Amino acid sequence: MTRNVEAGLIVGAAALAAFGTTLVNFSSDGAVDAQVSLTFLIVAIAFGGFHFAVRRFAPDASTVLIPPAALVTMFGLVEIYRINPVRAGLQRWWLLIAAAGGVLTLAWLHRSGTDALRRYRNITLAGAVVLMLTPLLPSNWSFPVRGLTVNGSRLWIEIDLGVTTLNFQPGELAKVAFVVFLAGYLADRRVALIEARRRIGPLAIPEPRQLIPLIAVWGATLGVMVGQRDLGASLLLFAVFVAMLYAATGQSGYLTGGIVLTIVGAVGAWRTFDHVQRRVTAWINPLSDFEDAGFQVAQGMFGLGTGSLSGSGPGLGRPDLIPNAITDFIFAAVGEEFGFAGTVAVLAAYALMVAAGFGISLRARDRFRKLLAVGLTLTFGIQTFLIIGGVLRVVPLTGITLPFMSYGGSSLVGNFVLLALLLRVSHEEAET
Amino acid sequence: MNGPTRRLALVIFGGFGLLLIASSWFQVLGADRYRADPRNVRNTITLIEKERGLIVAADGTVLARSDPVPDTPQTYARTYPEGPLFAHTVGYSTFLVGDSGIEAAFGDDLRSRQDLTISDLLSALFGRDLRPQNVQTTLQPRIQAAAFEALGNQRGAIVALDPRSGAVLGYVTTPSFDPNSLLGDDAVAVRQGLLDDPDQPLLDRAGQALYAPGSTFKTIVAAAAVETGVAGPETAFDDVLAFDLPGSDADIANSNNGFCGNGTTVTLQLAFVRSCNTVFADLAIRVGARPIEAIAEPLGFNRELAFPWSLAISAFPTDELAEDPAALGQSGLGERDVRATPLVMAMVAAAVANEGEVMRPRIIDQVFDANGSTVETFTPERTGMAMSSATAAVIAQMMERTVTEGTATRAAVPGVRVAGKTGTAQGPDGPEAWFIGFAPVDNPVIAIAVLVEDGGAAGESGTGGSVAAPIAAEVIATWLAGL
Repeated sequence: MTRNVEAGLIVGAAALAAFGTTLVNFSSDGAVDAQVSLTFLIVAIAFGGFHFAVRRFAPDASTVLIPPAALVTMFGLVEIYRINPVRAGLQRWWLLIAAAGGVLTLAWLHRSGTDALRRYRNITLAGAVVLMLTPLLPSNWSFPVRGLTVNGSRLWIEIDLGVTTLNFQPGELAKVAFVVFLAGYLADRRVALIEARRRIGPLAIPEPRQLIPLIAVWGATLGVMVGQRDLGASLLLFAVFVAMLYAATGQSGYLTGGIVLTIVGAVGAWRTFDHVQRRVTAWINPLSDFEDAGFQVAQGMFGLGTGSLSGSGPGLGRPDLIPNAITDFIFAAVGEEFGFAGTVAVLAAYALMVAAGFGISLRARDRFRKLLAVGLTLTFGIQTFLIIGGVLRVVPLTGITLPFMSYGGSSLVGNFVLLALLLRVSHEEAET
Repeated sequence: MNGPTRRLALVIFGGFGLLLIASSWFQVLGADRYRADPRNVRNTITLIEKERGLIVAADGTVLARSDPVPDTPQTYARTYPEGPLFAHTVGYSTFLVGDSGIEAAFGDDLRSRQDLTISDLLSALFGRDLRPQNVQTTLQPRIQAAAFEALGNQRGAIVALDPRSGAVLGYVTTPSFDPNSLLGDDAVAVRQGLLDDPDQPLLDRAGQALYAPGSTFKTIVAAAAVETGVAGPETAFDDVLAFDLPGSDADIANSNNGFCGNGTTVTLQLAFVRSCNTVFADLAIRVGARPIEAIAEPLGFNRELAFPWSLAISAFPTDELAEDPAALGQSGLGERDVRATPLVMAMVAAAVANEGEVMRPRIIDQVFDANGSTVETFTPERTGMAMSSATAAVIAQMMERTVTEGTATRAAVPGVRVAGKTGTAQGPDGPEAWFIGFAPVDNPVIAIAVLVEDGGAAGESGTGGSVAAPIAAEVIATWLAGL
C-alpha cells in the first residue's frame, strides 16, 4: 500500500465523517448546517497533516496504521456529535491539537531518532511519575495548574490559560512515557533478568534484586488505583508491564507471577473498595441491580441489542440514554446506531492497527525498538480490549478511554504520540 | 526473541476474538432479549419521541401537538389538549396501541421526515423542508363543544356539515374517551378497558355505525316522488288507519295509531309534516325501489365515501326491494333493512339545503408546512346531484313546515328559519331518535344529523321529536349566534 492510497483512505474517512454528520443533522432538525463541511475539514486536516508529517519525517513507515485510526476517529466524532454537539465542537479542536502533537513528535524524532529515547529513559520515567502525580496538586491554589476530581477520580489537571481553562488527563501521556522507559530499561537489563536466577525446588525465579522493579511497579499501580481511584489505568499499566517483561525475557514465570499479583490485587481491591464491588456486580449481573450499579452496563446492552445487525442509523437511536456514552460507552453508541456492522468495522480497524504494531515489532532488529513497538502495541491493544470488553461484559468495566474514539483531548494527544512513535520505529526498521 | 511477542499477539487477538463473540451475542444472537427487555425504554420512546405536526381546528385551536420533553433533547411527547372532544376525529398516535383518525390517515404528512428514506433525502437535496407538516381540519370547536354538551351522557352522534362546501363542521360521538390516556405505559390496559366498556366509547357512531334511519328516510322517498312526478306536495292520499302491505298479512299504522289528517284524504305535504307512515308506505311502493335509490345513492347509500378513515356503508337494498313491495313499503319508512350512518343522513339534509347538489364531505381543509405555507388544500368538490333544485325546494319547504308545525317543533330556533325531519326507528335495544335538518332556510350555513341511541335519557318513550330535535336546536342556535 502506497502513501497515496493512505492519503485516499484518509480523505475517505473524512468524507464518511461528513456523511455521518449529515445523517445526524437530518434526523434531528432536517437541516444540513456548517457542521458537515467543518467535520470533513477537521478530519482531513488532522490526519492529512499527520500523513504529510510522516511523508516528511518517517517516509518509510508502515502505511497501515493511519487509515484505521482515521476510521475509528470518524465513528467517534459522529457519535459524539450525535449525543452532545457541544462536546463534538471541543473534540474537533482537540483532534487538531492532538494531530499537531503527533506531528511534533515525528519532527523531534526525525532530528534525534528513537535512540535518544533509550538514552533518556530515566528522565522519561521521572516525567511519567511527575505527570501521574500532577492530579494530586491542590485544586484551589493560585498556580495555574491544579488538580481536579472528576466522578470521584483524581485523574485530571486543570490548566488555567487565563482566557480559558483546559482539562487534561496526564495519565494518558504518562502511559506512553512509561512504555518508553520500560523498553529502554528492559533492553539494557535483559541479560540480568534472564540469567541471574535462583532455584527453589522446581521453580526457577530471578534474583530477588531483579524482582524489585516488578514489585515496585505493582505497588505503584496499586497506589494509582487507591490514590486516584483509577481501576482501568492501574490494570492497564500493570498488564503492559508484565507483558513487556515477558516479551523481553521470554520467561513465562513473569507472566505467572503477574497474573498471581493481578488476582491478589483484584481480590484485595474487591474486598476493600465499595466502588470495585459495584463494578463487579454490574459485570456479573447488571440487570440484578438495574436501578443503581448495573444501570450503565444494562443501558449499554439495551442499546447494543436494539441496534442489532444494522443499527438504527446515526441520530435515530437513543445512545444518549447510556450514561457516559461519549467516553466509556462510545462503543455501545456505535453499536446502537451502526449496528453489528459498525462494531465489526470498529473491531476490525483496531485489530488491524494492533496487527500492524506487532508486525513492526517482529520485523525490528534492534532490541530497544522491538520492545518499544511491542510495548506501544500492547498498551493500545490492552486498553482497547479492556474498555470494549467492559462494555461487552467480557471483563468488569474499567473507566478508560477507547483510543481515538472516546471524547477527551488527553486521550487523543496520548494516542497520536503513541502512533507517531510506532510509525517512527517502523521507519527506522524499514528494510530499505 | 520473537517467540514471546508472537504469543502475546495471539493472546491479544484471542481477546479481540472474545470481543467479537460478545458483540455477536449482544447484537445478533441475543439481541431480541435485550431489545425487548421491559426496562429498555427505547421500546416506548422510539415512535413517540419524534416531533409530529400540529392538528388544528378551523379556527386554529390546537387539537394535537408535540411538546419537547424536558431534559431530553430532540424528544417530543404528543398531547391532545381538547381531550375527548375530538377523540374520534383527530384520533391518536401511540406506540403501544397504534394510531387512528386523522393521526393515522395523515400520518405521512404529520410525521417527521427525518427517518431518512431515500426519497426524503433526495427531496431534501432539492431544498425540501423535512420538518413535520401540519393539518388543519374543517371542524369548529364551538359546534363540537355544543354537540358534546347537548348529547351529555346519552349514547349518540352528531354530524354538522356546511351544505355549500361539504366541510364537516362538527363530528361528535358519545360516549367518548381521552386519547391522552392511550399515550402512557399502561395504554394496552386502558384500551382493553375501553373495548370492554358496554357503552363502546371507541366506536365512531357518526361514521362507522349503522342505524335504521326511520322517518328521516321519508325525506328521500318524498324527493323521489317529486322528482319522478309520482306525487307533489298537494297530491292527496287516502287517510287510513292502516295501510295493507301488498302480498302480506301485515299492515302499517301511524305512530299515534290514528288517522294522519281528517280521516278522508291527506296531502303528501301534511303526511310529511306529521310523518304519517300509512302514506309513505304507499308512496314508496308507488315510486318504486330504483327511483328511491336514484336519490339515495348520490347521497351516500350503497357506496363507499372517500373520507380519511373507512366508513360504514349505508344501505338501501334496491334489488330485493324491487321484487318485494311489502318490504319496500316498510323500507320507505326507513325501517327493515335500510341502514344509514349519521354522516350520510347529514349529507341528505345538506343536499336538500344545497339545491340538490351533493358535496363531498371533507374534514381536512389543508396541509401546511412548518413555516405556515400551504402544501395542499382540499377544495369543495361536487360529487353529483341527488335531486333537481326544484325538488330540493319542495322538500325544503315541507321540512321547514315540519319544524314550524309538525313533528320537529322542538328543533325551532327563535328568529331562525329551521328546516328538519324527525325519525324514530326501532333499534335493537330501544328507539333510535333521529333529527336531520338545516338552517337558515333562505341561506343555509349548517346541515345537521342528530342520532340518540335507545331514546337517550327518555328511554323507551324517547322520539326523534322529543330527544333529537332539541339537541339540534341547541347546536344550530350556538353556531348561528356566533356567526
